[in-house]
Parts: sequence; structure tokens; C-alpha cells
Amino acid sequence: MTIRRVLILAPTVLILFLVQSYFWVPTYEQQTRGNPDRLNEYIAASIGDASILNPILSADSASSDINSMVFEGLIDRDEELRFRGRLATSWDIYEEAFFYVNEDANIPGKGRAGVEEVATLLKRAKAGDFEAAPEVKASLDNIREISVVPARDFLVTRREKENEDTETAEIKIRVSAPARIKLVLNNVDQDLFQNLSRVLGKDYFSSFNGQHYITLDDETWQSKRAVYAEEILPATEHNPTVVFYLRPGVKFHDGHLFDASDVKFTFEAIMNPKNLSPRISDYEPVKRVEVVDSLTVRIIYKRLYSPALGTWAMGMLPEHLLNDEALRKEAIHLGKDPEKFSMRQSSFSRHPIGCGPFVFREWKSDQYIVLDHFDKYWEGSPNYNRYIYRIVPDLLTQEMEFYAGTIDSYSVQPHQVKRLRDNPEYQNFSGLSFGYTYIGYNMRREPFNDSRVRRALSMAIDVDKIIDYVLYSQGERITGPFVKQTDYYDKSIKPAPYDPQAALRLLEEAGWRRNKEGWLEKDGKRFQFTLITNSGNDLRKAVLAIAQDAWKQIGIDVRTDLLEWSVFIQERVDKADFDALILGWVMGIEPDLYQIWHSSQTHPYQLNFVGFKNSEADDLIIKIRQEYDHERQVVYSHRLHEIIAREQPYTFLYVAKWTAVLDRRIVIKETDRQGNAVYKKIKPTKTGNFTFYFNKWVKLPETPTFSQEG
Amino acid sequence: MRRRSRLQESWRLLKENRLAVIGLTIFILFFCIAFLGLVLTTGTDPTFDPARVRLQEKLQPPLSKPNLETLRPEEVPKLGVYLFGTDDLGRDVFARMLQGAWVSLTVGFVAVGISVLIGIFMGGIAGYFGQSNVRVDQVLATVVLLLGGGLLVFGARTPGVVLLVLGHVYILFSVWSKRIWGKRPIPKWMGVLYKDAISADTLIMRFVDIMLCFPSFFLILTVVALLPASMYNIMIVIGLTSWMGTTRFVRAEFLSLREQDFVTAARALGVNHWRIIFRHMIPNAMAPVLVSATIGIATAILTEAGLSFLGFGVPPPHATWGGILSDGKRFIFDAPWLTFAPGFAILIVVLSFNLFGEGLRDILNPKLRERN
Amino acid sequence: MLSFVGRSIIQKIITLFFVSIVSFLIIHLAPGEPSQVDPLNPKFTPEMVERFRKEFHLDKPLYLQYVYFYRDLFTGKTVSWKDNQSVLRKIWERFLNSLPLFIVGTIITWTLSFPIGIRAAIFRGGFYDRSTTFFSYLLISIPGFFFAYILIIFVVTRFHVPVIGMETFGLGDASWLRLIMDRVWHLLLPSVLGATGGIAILSRYVRSQMLEVEGQDYVRTARAKGLPEEQVYYKHALRNALLPFVTMFGLILPGLIGGSVIIESIFSWPGMGRMAYEAILARDYPIILTVNFVSAVLVLAGTFVSDLLYLVVDPRIRL
Repeated sequence: MTIRRVLILAPTVLILFLVQSYFWVPTYEQQTRGNPDRLNEYIAASIGDASILNPILSADSASSDINSMVFEGLIDRDEELRFRGRLATSWDIYEEAFFYVNEDANIPGKGRAGVEEVATLLKRAKAGDFEAAPEVKASLDNIREISVVPARDFLVTRREKENEDTETAEIKIRVSAPARIKLVLNNVDQDLFQNLSRVLGKDYFSSFNGQHYITLDDETWQSKRAVYAEEILPATEHNPTVVFYLRPGVKFHDGHLFDASDVKFTFEAIMNPKNLSPRISDYEPVKRVEVVDSLTVRIIYKRLYSPALGTWAMGMLPEHLLNDEALRKEAIHLGKDPEKFSMRQSSFSRHPIGCGPFVFREWKSDQYIVLDHFDKYWEGSPNYNRYIYRIVPDLLTQEMEFYAGTIDSYSVQPHQVKRLRDNPEYQNFSGLSFGYTYIGYNMRREPFNDSRVRRALSMAIDVDKIIDYVLYSQGERITGPFVKQTDYYDKSIKPAPYDPQAALRLLEEAGWRRNKEGWLEKDGKRFQFTLITNSGNDLRKAVLAIAQDAWKQIGIDVRTDLLEWSVFIQERVDKADFDALILGWVMGIEPDLYQIWHSSQTHPYQLNFVGFKNSEADDLIIKIRQEYDHERQVVYSHRLHEIIAREQPYTFLYVAKWTAVLDRRIVIKETDRQGNAVYKKIKPTKTGNFTFYFNKWVKLPETPTFSQEG
Repeated sequence: MRRRSRLQESWRLLKENRLAVIGLTIFILFFCIAFLGLVLTTGTDPTFDPARVRLQEKLQPPLSKPNLETLRPEEVPKLGVYLFGTDDLGRDVFARMLQGAWVSLTVGFVAVGISVLIGIFMGGIAGYFGQSNVRVDQVLATVVLLLGGGLLVFGARTPGVVLLVLGHVYILFSVWSKRIWGKRPIPKWMGVLYKDAISADTLIMRFVDIMLCFPSFFLILTVVALLPASMYNIMIVIGLTSWMGTTRFVRAEFLSLREQDFVTAARALGVNHWRIIFRHMIPNAMAPVLVSATIGIATAILTEAGLSFLGFGVPPPHATWGGILSDGKRFIFDAPWLTFAPGFAILIVVLSFNLFGEGLRDILNPKLRERN
Repeated sequence: MLSFVGRSIIQKIITLFFVSIVSFLIIHLAPGEPSQVDPLNPKFTPEMVERFRKEFHLDKPLYLQYVYFYRDLFTGKTVSWKDNQSVLRKIWERFLNSLPLFIVGTIITWTLSFPIGIRAAIFRGGFYDRSTTFFSYLLISIPGFFFAYILIIFVVTRFHVPVIGMETFGLGDASWLRLIMDRVWHLLLPSVLGATGGIAILSRYVRSQMLEVEGQDYVRTARAKGLPEEQVYYKHALRNALLPFVTMFGLILPGLIGGSVIIESIFSWPGMGRMAYEAILARDYPIILTVNFVSAVLVLAGTFVSDLLYLVVDPRIRL
């Protein structure tokens, strides 16, 4: 029977063909040990693929991983989290401050004064003519230069809409600005004007009225006068300034020299609304970027904003490949409309060129991204020839590939740490991450508006046990919103102890008593609420189950719900429609808490969704983000930390530790003065970053003996 | 008399098919366990508390004894032993499996119930009233109303309101015109509107076609991912996306039954439509529905497990077998029982449903019966 | 004939139109925003979110969004929100990746099922029949991912060869034969896994179809002629039992695009299902909608093809 034979033979042959291919496939041993090239490759694994390889446009972690290899910023953070020069060798921070001369104000012991008089007065004050309080003196001493900006007239136009339907009107504003005094300060000083007002009179700055100096032609817009005056003629102005001195001779991967215009270009690209850069808010306080010469850039800020310096760790773009002309050419080449074509559409995002240690080579969507080392890298070419970023979406398969040796590093799940630690083939590192997990309470709702209730809820959960058993000790407690490794975090603050009895006493104080069935009750209403979190995060899911169980034991009826991430965010968090939720924040090193904790940020779609309001905290948050002096920032932060820990708007749970496992044969290779290779064991830096010296890593055929070191 | 003998006949046939008997046994056993599970795991102080967290006792292998020193008396499992071990939070896997049995069963039954009801309804209409036509004006009025409502919802106020008003005005008009004109011939221009546009059968079958155009697992996934996760949503979504098969063969069955003598006779006697449908046709069309429902339950349980794997299954505090399985897969090297216990449980139950369904098919198939 | 083709094409286009509306509504009415608009990232100011929405036309009324989307789709200009790549190109890329899996799976399913099913029909009620019934239901009843993990762990620990992905990683510049064989090896597990369910279902179906035609006169005649049992089945019964399979064969086309999310995630296979799944999570509407649309087109094309095949195969049908 032919049909029958065909039907049986065809699949059999096919399957045999498939199975015989087994003999062609290298086993893991052959791949990892028999192949010398493998030693020169470093393979990292990721769950998700990158989306856009342009540092100013990317927002996901996979893209950032690659961008940090291909691109390089002006500065970064060193082992101690201090700033360190990369493309910039050094930098200066100073401030230019301005104020308009208020001719109507009475200066104590002087009366009304013109611009020259005020300038002289200040110079004399600086010279020590006045008996002044020490802080005023400090401010005065900080002034490097006092000069006069003469009065001038100019014209400003603004566009306004009366309401949604009317056309935009163009408003001409004639300004005859009075003279200004310009002060150049050695260091940024947020208290400058407060201290100067001790010299010039309490109301000198606040009584300045810009409205006298502007005229509006159009009568209909007179109501906006005060707003315009405030905008165009602010009484005082802080202009912190950063000057970067760039490293000479740095080249992009295509051989083009990096210079100051690239920095300016990168800034402008971020601010260009066409590009829709997600980083725009970081750079919004920048007033302008000036190219002083090819290796010097000056960045002038509109206002005090201390997290500013850190933003320059952003990768620098090559101007010659992405400027308007280049984009126009590409658009025409692709047959697209040049007017609408932006950096987002450019093929650059899939073939990036930067000046980082690795050169982009190949990207296969959802499979891998390959980078080659850059042999002209200014700090010396990395030891690995190749960096490969594999996309393996399933954690379990990642683990199997790691054991097999086709992935070099692998972010270990807490429960595997112990097993891997005991394995002599691997070395492992762990450190605290920058994020923490918390339970947040909606303080707009009963009964969470009572801090005793919040504290009681915190005390009912045995966080240490969660850390011990759920995280397998791969975590630490946290009591406040700062990154635990930094000194902004006040280590002396103690977490709320685990004590269900004390929690019950606190709840009783707040009016909650147990009823016959054992549930807590107040005014006949049962203590009942819903705790929610997003799906897809096993740790949060575990905390959800534990918290529910723990609260049930003190008589609280807790419902739980898991929601898909974007539904969770959009429907519940953004609209503040929740009782309590489990979430985490990944913190930047900068202690800027404005968006998460300031009372102005409690509206829908803002990040203070728990509705935390505390005037002292508000004050401190503003002070911290305007303060450029580290020591003072620390003092403010500790106070803020204390307030938040006392109020317990969140139950701060833990900071997880990350653990990475590497083959023991991967070591740091350095050359000593005689040119001999010296091998060192990889050690995490103080802040727990083990890839800090990645460029010096090398994989050896055998584990070497290490040179002695401290 | 005849009915009973038919039942006896079926029973005899079933007994011959050993696989189907095994399937049925497990099926019934599973039912009992699920019901027992419901009783034993709910209430304020259940016998087996699936939500009891004992962190110090996590990942204990099956049959291990609880450590009495570290546990408070109320935390000790009632059996004195962790029959299936404990999971990563120290919860008793046996208790969770018990609870999961009920949840999985509910998911399967409710989802299939929904799909069968819709299927019978749609298939019945298509098969029985299929030849009656929908008129052009009816189609137009419905389209206008739907479009108007749609536009209103999506922000285009004015055109939406206009269309809605138009639709209602037309309906009033047609009711009114029927009364005025009575038996007089309708004018020519209106004749177009009164033409038959499409048969009910075509309408329903086209709708089935539309539904079949969505890849089913994908459709479920999209909807479940987008809706807030809850047990009910999952059941409803699975039900709403799997009724097309039932519709198709209920329709086919009805089409052939309509022509059978007993139906024609009933109609000739002036029995009304609904009585014919419920008394005479549905009982005769039930066999294939029953078979596909049995297999449908198995599929629904598997679908739920697949959704759990992707993180969209039934959310806690309800435990489902799929959920336990996908939670446990992280620990497959450290605690294999977390994967294998629910994995095999699903396998066995789904298998028993399938085998029973297959047996049922053989028994109810008259052609095959003749041969025996 | 021609009128049938014309009518059925018009019908299919109308269906497609409704499908496009329904899928559009499901996605746009559901809560959630594209992941580019990440409101929990402190760097996103409300103005940014607004600007993104504008870029994606999300601020427009729905019917306009619908028009924009399908206009872009038909002019081939749709781009993914995630990375600004052309959606059609992305789908084509993934389609090529899914294709070998699909082809191998289909061939195995559509050949092996017949002898298995027929043999079961011949020895109906016997040991062979029972064991195939049992095994095919066993294969249908295993949760796919459970089975996949067990298989992977078995192969990796037992044979120490890579099975994940489309090719062995870092094979570099081995000979072309080796590269091809390597790819073939990686095809084995996922395609066999995909085929098992298919074989189980189809062979059951073959069996019942065979039993269905078995009582027919021509089969009895053939048997009465004294033909060997196998010949009766393969030559006389099979040809007539084939009709329903023609319809089924048309319906496997959409399998091309559906793929299996679960198998592809576990095997890190960059296929269609996984792309669509990730698009759902990231609310990448253009990709979700295009995949949906393309698969609807395939389903309709499939039914169309099977209708035509029916015409050709079954002389009784004249439309």
C-alpha cells in the first residue's frame, strides 16, 4: 500500500532527520571548554529585549544596559558613589545670582537707593563694614564678584488662548527692566537672598513689583499682568552654573572626534519636543548650554536644582550623525516626510554609535545583541572581545543555560543563593539594591488617616521573618525613603517592632475592639479593606499572602487582589482608588523626594498617591533639592527620614539584595609596571556594584592564583 | 419503558469501555474531593487552612512532619503531617490542592455552562428559525441605533444623538404606519425597505465566523490581561470565547431534526414552537453537546493553567492547580513536588474527563451502537 | 462557480470589517496605556504623558483612531510604539521564525495521524486501539508547559546539549552543514511538542471518521470482494472519509500566526505568539491589532480555500 507507506515513512524519516541532528550539536562541554573563543566572550542574559538604543530616548532597563556599554556620559559615580569624570576630566560649580534694584524700598539706615549705591553697599558689607550674624557673613564671604547690569528696554511676545475654542492671540509686552545687580558666588547658596535681606531690609526683595515695568498693548489680557511680571522680571534669580572641561582626543566608534558641540547637541536633542525624550524633565531646569571652546561647556540653570549634576551621566550622542541635516538626508533616503522625521524614527536607534567601551555590532530582535570591544577606547580597550546580551524570557530556562555555561552571569533568585554559594565552581556577589518594597496606605480614607492605625498595621507584620524565609536573608529592613547605602539614610532610626499585642493596644486606642467573632470593630463597622498589588511579581505576591494572614490574626478582614500592571497603575494607583497596596520604588542616589512625598503631588496621576501631607516635610523636601552642599543635605534628609518613619504612610518592608553568580574563572586582569599580567579576584565595590571594573574582566581557562592584596 | 431500556443499554455499553469507566470513576471521585475541599477549606477556622502561612516550615517535602517546637498550636496541620509538602510560604500544599480542586472544578463547569447555554441558544435559533428573514429596514434601524450609541460612547456627541433619534423615530414610524396602512399595499419606495435582507441563520453563522477569526487563546489572553483579574472574569471570558463549536453542531442537529417525522407531526398538531424546541428537539440534540461539554471542561481547566503560567490566572487567595503549578515551577530543582503534585493532578483529572467524554461519544453515537 | 467565488469574497470582506471593529474596541476600551507612557516613572511629567498620547493619536476620538490605524495599515506605514519599527516587517520577521516550527509540526501531524487512527479503527476495541486512545488523551491532557519543562530538563541533564533558542549560542563560524544541523536540532523539541497535541486530536478524528464510513455500502462491497483489510481502509474508506479533513486542512493556516505563546516563551523562540504576547503586556496597540487582523485574514483565507477544495473534491456540491 503506497499511501500507507508514505504516511508512515514520511514522518519517520522527518523525525529521524531531526533526531540525527543531535550528533552535530556541540554539547555544553564542547561549547564552554573546547572553544577558546568562548573565553573572550561575555554573555549576559535578560528577560526582555531592548527597544531603542538611544540613551536619550530609552526608558526600559534592557535598552539602558546596552546604552551604558555603547555610550558614555560626562561623569559617573565611582566606588564610593562620588562623581567621577568620564568624558569630562573635571568640572566647576558656581552660581550667578541676580536681583533687581528695588528703588521703592527703604534700606535700613540708608533709605531709598539706586543701583550704584546698592552695589557699593554690598561691597562694603562684604568688606566687613557691618556687624552681621555669622550666616550672613558666610553668605557675603561666598560672593566672588559684584557687578551692575544696566537697565534696558525690550519687547516680549506671548501667545495665549482665552479658552479651548478661540484662536491664540499674540500679546506684545513692552518691558523696561530696571537695573540689576549680578553676584557671582563661589558656591551655590540657597540662603543668599534671605541673608542679604538682613542687610538690605526685610522686604527689599519681596516688595519688588515687576508690574511697574511692563506695559501690555492689548487691554484684554491685563489680568495676566501679574503673572507676566513674575515670569519676566523675577525679583531674584539663582543661576547655578556648571562648567565641564572635556577629555581631549576621545573618539566616537566611527572615528569622529568628540567635542563640546556634541554635549550641546545632546542637550538640545533631549529638549526638542519632536523627539519625545522621556528625560526632558531632568533637563528642564537648564537655562542654556554654552560652548566656550571645543573642550569646555558651560551649563547655566534657571534655578536651584541640586540633582542636576547627576543628569550629566547621560550618554553623549554624536552630533554629526544625528543633526538636522543628517536626519533630513535619511528621511529623503527612506522616502519619508523630513518634517515629521525625528530621531525616534532614525535607524541610529538600531545601530547606535557612541564613545563607550563597546561598539555595537548586531541586534537580532528577541534573540541577542552583540557588542565588540572598542580598541580605541580612551581608558584602554576592555579585555573581553565581545559582549553578548541574550534574551531568554523564562527564568527557569535562564537558570538551566547558566548551569550549562552558555550564560556567564545570572541574577539569582533568593531561594537559589544558598545552593549556588556552596558550589565551588562559582563565585557570587551580593549587595543591597537601590529599591525598596512597601505597603502604602491611602491616607485619604478611613481608618488609614490615623497614624496609630498605620503603625499598628506595620507592627502586626513580622518583616524579619519575611526577610529570613521569603527572601532567604537576601534583604535588609528599611525604615525610610532614602537609598540605604547613602548617608542620606539615617541608620539610627529603628523600624517598628513586630508586636501584635502592642498593635492591638494601639488599635484599641484608636477605637477598634474585637467583637465576638474575633474581628476588630469600631462603631459597629468591621475593620475591612482590600490589599492590592500587581501580578507577575512573586515576591509581592508572597508579601500579599503573608500580610493578609498576619492581619487576619489580629482580627482584620483583608481581601486581596492581583491586577495586571497597567490596569493596576491606571485604574487604581493613578486614580488613588485603593485602600492599601504593595509596591516598590527604585530610588536614584539623589535625595530628591519631591514627586513622591511633597503635598503638592497628591492629585490623581501624581506619585504621592498615598496622600502624604506634612508641612515640615514639604519644607525639607524643597530645601534638599535646592541645597548643593552635601553635609547640609544630609542633615535635612535625616530630619525628613525621621518624620516619614514616625508618620508611617508606608509600612517600609525591605530592600532586597541582588545576588549575581559568576564562573570562578572570571577575574580582574591588570598589568603592573613591568607589563606583567596581574590577576585579582573580582570584588564588589563598597556600594555593591560588582561590574564596576567590567572592562578589566577576563575569563581564564583555569582559576588562577591571586596576587596578595589587602 | 423505552427510555429506561435506553439508559440500561447505555450503561451496558459504558461498562464495556473500561477506559470510560475509569474516567467516570475519577470524575466522580474528583467531584467528591472538590466538594469535600470546599467544606474543609472555607469558614473562619477551616479544618485545612490553605492560607495559613508558616514561614519557618517552607518547602518541606511531602509526608514530612511539622516541627512542633516552632509552631503555635493552631498552626499545626490537622493531619499531623504535610501530605503533599509545603510551598515557599510554608502553606500546606495538600490544603491548597483541596481548595484548588473546587476552584478548578468551578472554573471548568461555569465556563462550559456559559458556553453551552449560549451555544444552544444561538444554534437553536439558527437551526430552527433559520429560514425566517430579517428585513432591510430592521437591519438598517439596528445599525443606525448601534452606530449612534457607539458614537455617543466614543465622544462624537452630535452625530451620535442624531443617529439615535433617527433610529427611534423610524421604529415609532414603522409601528404607527403598520396601524394606519393596515392591509393596503405599501408604496413602491418603501418596498425596498421591506425586502428580506438576510436570514437569521446567516446572521448568526456570520457572527460565529467573526468570533472564529480571533485566535482563541490569544483572545482570552488579551481580555484577561486587560480586565481586572478575578475568578469570575476568567470563567466568563473562557465561556464567552468557546461557544462557537456548540452553536455549530446544535444548529446542524436542529436542521436535521426539523425534518424528522416526529417534529413534523408535532407541528401539524399545532404544538407551539417553544414546546417543540424544549420537549422534542433539545433532548434529542443533547448527546453531542454533552460530549463536547465534558471535553470542554477539561479544556477549560487546561486553559486556566496556561493563563496561570503567564501570570493571568485566578488571583489569590483562591488557589488553583494551575496557579500552584506555575508558582512552583521556580522551585522545580529545590522542591519538585510543588510542580509535580498539581501537574499530575491536572493530568489525571483532565485525562479522566477526556476519556469519559470519548466513551460517552461512542455510547451516544447511534451508528456505532448498531454494530454491537 | 464564479458567482460563488465573488459572493464568498464579499462575505469575507464584510466579516473582516466587523472583526476589525471588534478587535479595535476590545483593545481600546480596556484599561491601560502603552508602556511608553509610564506614569510611575518620576521622570514623566503629565505634559510628557500628554505629548506621547498625542503622538499616538490617543487623544483623538475613537472612530478617528480607527480610521488612522487602518489607513496606516493599508499604506504599510504602521509602526510599533515600542521601537518605531515597521509592524509589517516585524511580523514578517517573526513569521519566518515561526514558519519552520509550523511546517515540521504540520507535516508530522498530518502524516502520522492517519496510520495511527486507521489502525485504531481496524482493531477497534482491541489493545492497540485502547492504548492509542489512552496515550492520545494523555498527550492532550498534560499542561503544555509542564510537559515542556520535563522534556527540557530531561534532555539537558541527560544529553548535555543546548535546546533553548533557535540555534546554539556562540557557534560562530562552524561549517554551514553544522550550522544547519544545529538549527534542525533546535527545531526538534518545540515542533514535536507542538505536534503531539495535534497528532492526538487528529488521529482520534481519523478513527471516528473511519468508523463512520465503515458501514457504507462501498466499504462492505470492497470487503466482500475479499480485499485485505488494510487495502479496504486505505484505498476505499480513506478517500471518502477525507472530505471533512479538507475543511480542517484549510483551518490550519491561522496556526501559522497564532503560534504558541507558552512554548515560545519557554524555548526562547522569537516567534509570533511571543511577540504578540509582549505587545499585549506593553499595550503596543499597532502590533496587537495588526496580528489580529492578519490572523483574521488567514482564517478567512483558510475557510475560503477549504470551500474551494470542497468544490473540487466533492462532485455532489455545485454552488
